[in-house]
Amino acid sequence: MESQETLTKQGRPEAPKSTLPQPGRPVPNRAYPGALIVVEGTDGSGKSTQLYLLKRWLEIGGYRLHFTEWNSSPLVKSATRRGKQRRLLTPTTFSLLHAADFADRCERQIMPLLQGDYLVLADRYIYTAFARDGARGCPQKWLRNLYRFAPVPDITFYFRAPLDVAVQRILSGRPKLKYYEAGMDLGLSYDRPESFRLFQSRILDGYDKMVESDNFVVLDGTLPVNKLQKQMRDIVASKIDLKRFAPHAAEAE
Amino acid sequence: MPDHEKDKERGAAVAAEPSLPAAAGTPPKVTLQTEEEAASAFFAAPLPGFDSSDITGTLIVIEGMDGSGRSTQISLLQEWLESEGFAVQTSGLRRSNLVGRDIDELLAKNAVTRLTLALMYCTDFFDQLEHRIIPALKSGAVVLADRYIFTLIARSVVRGINRDYLSGLYAMALRPNLTFWLNVRPETAFGREFRKAQAISYWEAGRDMSLSHDLYWSFVRYQTMIKREFEAVAKRHNFLELDGEASVPTVNKLLRQRIGEQLGIRSTKYAPSSALAHLWR
Repeated sequence: MESQETLTKQGRPEAPKSTLPQPGRPVPNRAYPGALIVVEGTDGSGKSTQLYLLKRWLEIGGYRLHFTEWNSSPLVKSATRRGKQRRLLTPTTFSLLHAADFADRCERQIMPLLQGDYLVLADRYIYTAFARDGARGCPQKWLRNLYRFAPVPDITFYFRAPLDVAVQRILSGRPKLKYYEAGMDLGLSYDRPESFRLFQSRILDGYDKMVESDNFVVLDGTLPVNKLQKQMRDIVASKIDLKRFAPHAAEAE
Repeated sequence: MPDHEKDKERGAAVAAEPSLPAAAGTPPKVTLQTEEEAASAFFAAPLPGFDSSDITGTLIVIEGMDGSGRSTQISLLQEWLESEGFAVQTSGLRRSNLVGRDIDELLAKNAVTRLTLALMYCTDFFDQLEHRIIPALKSGAVVLADRYIFTLIARSVVRGINRDYLSGLYAMALRPNLTFWLNVRPETAFGREFRKAQAISYWEAGRDMSLSHDLYWSFVRYQTMIKREFEAVAKRHNFLELDGEASVPTVNKLLRQRIGEQLGIRSTKYAPSSALAHLWR
């Protein structure tokens, strides 16, 4: 694979040792040459589709990139599955397990790749935890501390869709909502679709609160897919020096 | 003892810890908490979904390095307390239903980074706190915790994880009524640990930290680092320090005296049953 070769090429700028991130300390801004693009939004906001299309665009262009998804580390998979099946998870342990999962991906993929001059695309990031675990009752201060080691994204796209649209997209596409997915552990309602709706509404509030403080780029999730994708590509191209991640960037420099 | 009396005693114990008998060599205690903090059952923030107001039991923590005699003392204390009519629940590291076994596997495979491991241990801790410790305390039991957040924080700090970060993680842990620290020299602990399994494990010796290729020195250096961390937080967290080099009956007597005081047990006489007699030396 092309990207594998470029990673090992000589002459890349190396981050000075003193700026390497320390676990539990905030990552100094731009302590690495790579770039991080994140998508966030409620279930059914269209974010995963859009990130997939962005990824395809960059892949076809031959850019060095890595794609990572929330809750996907094999390390904590069995624990998460067990916890969900037996309903052992509480707001605190649910949050901690996801943080362990993220820490594993962060320490083994995201940070090393950012240091290795890669473009990293993340489907959901720490803001998912802030919105979702916050909706479950975890204190924001505790959550912010928990994820302090995460590098700050270069762009955070927030796909905003009205509650009804997002809920309808999920309910029509899924035969049955899962227990934790519907937020049944919060005891909001015995009716799963209703519980899901109430839970998603809290999450939406949580996201809206972060728009300014965390520099979200807000996109309208109800727009047609191709129009939305055009907006997304324009923003990426304007904010990130994509040439750096192009196939022959090293020779051209 | 009626619940309301115990509540009073719990409040009093948190506010001003009476010191151990002079024989234990405990330094005078300095309470660094504010009144508001001391009044709270949790360290800094309440645990979401849990109310601490109906806790009637007593949380007793025994801290100390590998080989300090913790587990031996806990077995003996459990028998003594049960003979005195107290319900006892125990907890310890990697014993949660949620991730206990997963951590064992990670450790065996040695394929995990320090932050991920710290967060897995944190998950393990809170699962036990929520599903084992708090329910037992609400039913009025005595919980004997074989290590607590202090070991978890110390292990991560010596591996370079920020101390404030770790205090923040464990802000929602329940404040113990009593925290004992069995302090031993790493050199003594090494011998005791070695005799148990005729070997020293990778993690006990802190081999992931590349301190020394020599197993003995790696163990001693690592455990000394942990010990220094305990020394640094001993006052702030009201550790009751006991000399772990003393004999099992001596340490056990001191523990029984202080716990007896806490629980209102007048006579703290005890001799182990035949099942535990082998520990009594």
